[in-house]
This record gives sequence, structure tokens and C-alpha cells, in this order.
Amino acid sequence: MPWRRPRKKVERPIEVTRSIEESLEDAAAGEEEEDSVDLAGLDDATVVEAATGEPEPERGASDLALKLRETLAREPAPARARPRATTYPESGVDLAVDAARGLRLRNPVLTASGTFGQGIEYAELIDVARLGAIVNKGTTPNMRPGNPQYRIAETPSGILNSIGLENPGAVEVARRYGVQWAALGVPVIVNVAGYSVEDYVYVVSEMAGTPGVVAYELNVSCPNVKDGMIFGSDPSLAAELTRAVKAETDLPVIVKLTPNAPDVVAVARACEEAGADGVTAINTVLGMRIDTRRRRPILGTGSGGLSGPAIRPIAVHITYQVAQAVGIPIMGAGGVTSAEDALEFLMAGASAVQVGTATFADPLVPLKVIEGLAAYVREHGLRSIREIVGTALPRMVE
Amino acid sequence: MIIQQGAVTASARIGDLGTVLGVSAPGIAAQARAGQFVHVRPGTSFEPLLRRPYSFNRIRRQEGEIELIVRPLGPGGEWIASRRPGDLLDLLGPLGTAFVIHRSARNLLLVAGGTGIAPMRVLAEQEASRRNVTLLMGGRSVAYLWPSDRLPPSVEYVTTTEDGSFGIGGRVTEALPELLRWADQLCACGPWPMLAAIGRMREEAERAPAAPGRAALLEAQIAVEQHMGCAMGVCRACVVVTSQGNARVCREGPVFPLGDVAFAEGEPATVGLVS
Ligand SMILES: Cc1cc2nc3c(=O)[nH]c(=O)nc-3n(C[C@H](O)[C@H](O)[C@H](O)COP(=O)(O)OP(=O)(O)OC[C@H]3O[C@@H](n4cnc5c(N)ncnc54)[C@H](O)[C@@H]3O)c2cc1C
Ligand SMILES: Cc1cc2nc3c(=O)[nH]c(=O)nc-3n(C[C@H](O)[C@H](O)[C@H](O)COP(=O)(O)O)c2cc1C
Ligand code: FES
Repeated sequence: MPWRRPRKKVERPIEVTRSIEESLEDAAAGEEEEDSVDLAGLDDATVVEAATGEPEPERGASDLALKLRETLAREPAPARARPRATTYPESGVDLAVDAARGLRLRNPVLTASGTFGQGIEYAELIDVARLGAIVNKGTTPNMRPGNPQYRIAETPSGILNSIGLENPGAVEVARRYGVQWAALGVPVIVNVAGYSVEDYVYVVSEMAGTPGVVAYELNVSCPNVKDGMIFGSDPSLAAELTRAVKAETDLPVIVKLTPNAPDVVAVARACEEAGADGVTAINTVLGMRIDTRRRRPILGTGSGGLSGPAIRPIAVHITYQVAQAVGIPIMGAGGVTSAEDALEFLMAGASAVQVGTATFADPLVPLKVIEGLAAYVREHGLRSIREIVGTALPRMVE
Repeated sequence: MIIQQGAVTASARIGDLGTVLGVSAPGIAAQARAGQFVHVRPGTSFEPLLRRPYSFNRIRRQEGEIELIVRPLGPGGEWIASRRPGDLLDLLGPLGTAFVIHRSARNLLLVAGGTGIAPMRVLAEQEASRRNVTLLMGGRSVAYLWPSDRLPPSVEYVTTTEDGSFGIGGRVTEALPELLRWADQLCACGPWPMLAAIGRMREEAERAPAAPGRAALLEAQIAVEQHMGCAMGVCRACVVVTSQGNARVCREGPVFPLGDVAFAEGEPATVGLVS
């Protein structure tokens, strides 16, 4: 049975600034309170005795360990009134950006598609309302069961995945998550995937009017059933798709570039001409690992998409090139793990960044990036984060 | 479910099974249940990148402490298993579903293979004073068995070794038929082929006439493993096929009703490719 040490009520001033650590303490204290049994009946001596216990001789706990255990057990989590904090470390800093044309966000940090589910899952752990926006899991017209196992494999500073766009389909996504999105307090960008132009248009039409949705991001890393051509690898195909989706919706449409295209800059340019309001750079990079014991690829589908810090230099490079070719805003994605990484993308010309794989290792990364960017703006006396966008690009000759 | 920096309080090698780490993590210990797991960060950088899932091997709520048994398979497991008292471990948990013991169960059979002992030990400690508990554990040799002095004395401990170095020679399936006739609830954790074999034997046992005085087998639950990404239910890397379709081991699992999980030749069944 969960337990709680009896404790005196501590009066504490209401704090105005909360760091991630404090939010976590709150979460811990809150969860503890929810389903704990008050042991107030027990006198303190009994509880302390039970809490410290006798070390089992065969386990040989060191003195240091015992001391640690003792302090950790003795120190009750601070009793905290839990008014929702109104200010955060990033409060009062101008972090607002246009992540796409017509898509102003409170800060430039989003969570990447497929690494943050429908946004509600991580809401149990972190305050998602502090994010600039979230991008949901790739949504297709119909339910997809996804790919055979294995679907994930670790690589040096990265992972390969082959999930296979497992999702319940557009109608179900809108029905199940619309109301929850509205309550999350964070804008939602719907990531759209399909195997024909009609598929994408259908998803966008089904999602129309869903609460919380502010834009669409087209995952063009899928093959067109007509000719097997990847939408995002061919400028004219990508442009055709962009035009069709733009005609269906008034919300901003963002094209998510695939680094596996022969000429990604040409694709970006074609999408801008076709009316895209922004591009995301980049989706995963094709890769493979072999299980040497079984003499076959680890992933059930053979190849998969590489993500994480391993691809960051590729993503920064593509961002840098695309930024010189288009006028619409760019969202950088690929291995962002810190504010420093995010700054690389911003300086290379991105207006915002998406955090993906790093969240699996440390769910606090998206919030740490926000806090770190705010600190950067403060330390450098900038008026807003927008001042650094594109500062590493070659200077245009007048 | 929380993120907590747990402090390692003790470390002990258990034969060739793995390393048992005691970790002070009061927030997690307060919520943890048998069968659930923690997702442990194997370092402080992004290399190796993914957290590693480990089941609770012991839950000591009063002490605010948990124990994990870690088999060092690769770099992540090695890093975690080599932590020393005083070191911090970044823990995310508790995660997933737990074993549910039926109130009226009188004869509880626990079956463990390898580090599948982890949740079975929690159940043994939790249930020993409430009902008859038998733990059946199998290993390659005696070095792969859980030490009996780390079990409540009232738990009956039956062991099998493949090399015959201790207990019954062979695999757990050698000792299972008789125990299945005795038990009215079964919980198991171990490699996929072991779980698949238990599934087949349980079906056979159900068909056989019940021993006198024994209720029908009430409930059979297993905890399964699958490679994971997030362990938060978002990436869908960890799915297994069940009677209800794809289920995430990190959310709908790791504990499932025995008959629900689809096995294909002793391996987890995989979903078909739809495109
Ligand atoms: C719910 C659950 C509970 C578990 N409980 C325990 C336990 O109590 N004790 C224990 O020793 N092990 C347990 N495992 C297995 C443990 O997670 C793996 O041994 C570990 O992830 C391997 O990491 P590594 O760095 O040692 O090996 P590597 O081979 O380097 O791992 C490479 C990648 O494969 C993954 N992987 C490899 N084997 C497994 C596996 N069997 N299951 C899941 N992922 C795997 C790793 O997580 C990593 O992403 C459990 C697994 C799950 C899913
Ligand atoms: C498990 C997983 C699932 C993903 N699913 C999608 C998806 O459904 N749609 C999409 O456009 N991108 C998807 N991506 C790509 C990410 O959104 C992101 O572009 C890429 O991983 C690079 O960023 P990162 O290195 O920060 O993860 C997925 C990535 C991962 C790791
Ligand atoms: S590990 Fe990501 S959904 Fe289970």
C-alpha cells in the first residue's frame, strides 16, 4: 500500500517562478497525495525506523548509501499548495515566432510527429501547455496496423524506426482527440500521411473543424501508389500535393521535407511556389542495421528511418541550404537535445525547432530547450529570439 | 508515473543472472506494483540513446526503495549494472500494467525464467502471507537460479536446470503439469518460448479433470518483453499482437492474460504489412 510520512503543514509563499525540477517535485508530491494512505496514526519513531530499516548484511550497503537512503526517506516531499503557476523561467521573454506563414507560436519549440503521440500521453509527465505546439502522430485516411517487429533499433547516437504509420485513421483521430486537444492548452499541428493526393486531401477534410488544430504538416516520405514515387522526392509531385491540400483548407500547410530526396532544395522551392506556408526540415534518413547473429536486418521491414543526434548535422545543413532558397518559414528537426542544438537550427535559418527522439531519452528536453532559449535571449540582451534567426547564413550581397 | 533521480543504495551480483541494485526512489516505490517497470536512462548523454526497461524486483514502500535485477546484455545494461552505491539513476516510472491476484486464490503458482524472476519475487513477497505460494524457476544451470535466501521462507521453491546441476533436470515444463493441477492462479514471466510453452500446457491442463478439491484455474497472467522506444505509449515500437489487436507492452502490458497474447512458433507474433 502506498504510504506517506506524517508531516506538519508548512506554510510556503506562493512561488512565481518554477523550474522544471520544481514542477517535477510537484508532480511527485501530487501523485503521492492522490493514492497514498496517511500513516498519521503511527508515531514518528516507528515510521523512521521502518523507513531507514536495517541493511541486509548480504547486500553490503555502504555507509554513504545508508546515509543517502536515510536522508531521502526522512525528508518528506514539501507540502505545497498547488496553484497553477502563472510564470515560468521563459515568462517575460519574447520567444514568439512565426513557425509558418500565419502560424504565430508563443515559442519556437515543438514536439515532432511520431515522438509525442497525440500530446495527451506526455501531459501526465510534463506541462505540455508550455510548448510552442505539438505535432501529432502521422494520420492516414484509414486505420493502419503498422509494420512487423522489430520496429526500433538503437544506432550510434540515434535510433532507426519502422513503425509503419500505425494510427486509428482520420475520423477516429478527430473523434477521440479533438476535445482533449482543446483542453491541452497547446496548439496542435496534424501530421498528414497518405499514398495518393486524394488520401491527403481526405485526411484534411475529415480533420476540418477539429478543436485545437491550427495547421497541417504533410509527411511526404510516403510512396505514391500510382508510380511508387516518394511524394517528397519529386518537386512536381510535391507541388501537386501542396496545391491540392491548400485548396482544401484555409489553415497553414507545412511540407515536411525528406532528406532522401535527390534535390531537397528543389522540392522546397516547388512547394513554396505551390503555396506552402512553411517547410519542416527534416524527416528521418533511410538506414539499416543487420543482426549479425541471425544474419538478417534487425527491423521487420529491413530498412527504417534514422533519427536523433546522429542526423543533426544533416538536418542543420539542409536547413541552411533551404533557408537560402525559400522565403517561407522553416522548422528545423533532427537530433535536437538542448537549447544549444536549437540555436544551431535557428542560426541556420529555421524559425522554430521540433524535438523528437531526444524526448524518449529525457522527456524534459522540450521544456529545457524553451528555458535555455529564454536564458540565451536574456544573456545576450536580445529583444526577441527572432533576432538570431538566420544569423549564420551567408550575407546577401545588396 | 514520475521521473525521479534514484540513489543506488546497494549492488550485488546474483550468480550469472545479473546484478541486483537497491535504489532509493520513494516517489516511485510509493506507486509501484508487481509486474510494472521503470524505464532507466543508461547514462547522462545520448549515447546510448534509449532508456532500458526493467521490472521491479522488490518494492519496499516503507523504505522508499526498489530493487532491480539487471542483466548486462549490451552497453545500456552494462552501464546500469555497474552503478555503485551513491550513484544516481534517472528513472521513469512506474509504467505499465500489474499482476492482479484474485482475492479467492488459494494456490498461487509463480513461474520464472531468467530475469523474469523480477516480478515473481515481488509477488512472492507480497502474497506469501496471504495464500499458498509456489515459485517454479528454471535456468541453464544453478548459476542462473534465484538464491532461495532472498525469498520468503513460506514460499515453496521448485527449480529446474537444463544441465541438471540443481533441482529437476530440464526446463520448467518438466515440473509444470503437476503444479498446474494444483494451482488456481498462475503468473509467469520469462522468455517468449517459455511463455508460449506454458500457454500450450495450460490449455492441456484445463482439459484434464481437476484434482479433488481444486477450483478451476481462475486466472493466468504473463508479463512479456518487447523492444521499446518511449515507454510512454506514443511511439508504438513495443506492440505485440493480442486477441484485441495490437497492444503496447508499455501501456496495455507488460502484463496480459495468458490466452490473449498471440505467439508464432514461440516468438511474439508480428503484425502483417499493410500498405
Ligand atoms: C517490461 C520489461 C521488463 C524487463 N525487465 C527486465 C528485468 O527485470 N531484468 C533484466 O535484466 N531485463 C529486463 N528486461 C529486458 C531489458 O530491458 C533488456 O535486457 C535491456 O533493454 C537490454 O539493454 P542492453 O543495453 O543491455 O542490451 P542491448 O542489446 O545493447 O540493447 C539494444 C536495444 O535493444 C533493446 N532490447 C534488447 N533486448 C531487449 C529485451 N529483452 N527487452 C526489451 N528491449 C530489449 C534495448 O532496450 C536497446 O534499445 C525487461 C524488458 C521489458 C520490456
Ligand atoms: C518513432 C518515430 C516515429 C515517427 N513518426 C513520424 C510520423 O508519423 N510522421 C512524420 O512526419 N515524421 C515521423 N517521425 C520523424 C520525426 O517527426 C522527426 O522528423 C525525425 O525523427 C527527426 O527528428 P529527431 O531526430 O528529433 O527525432 C518519426 C520519428 C520517430 C523516431
Ligand atoms: S515504447 Fe513507445 S509506445 Fe511503447
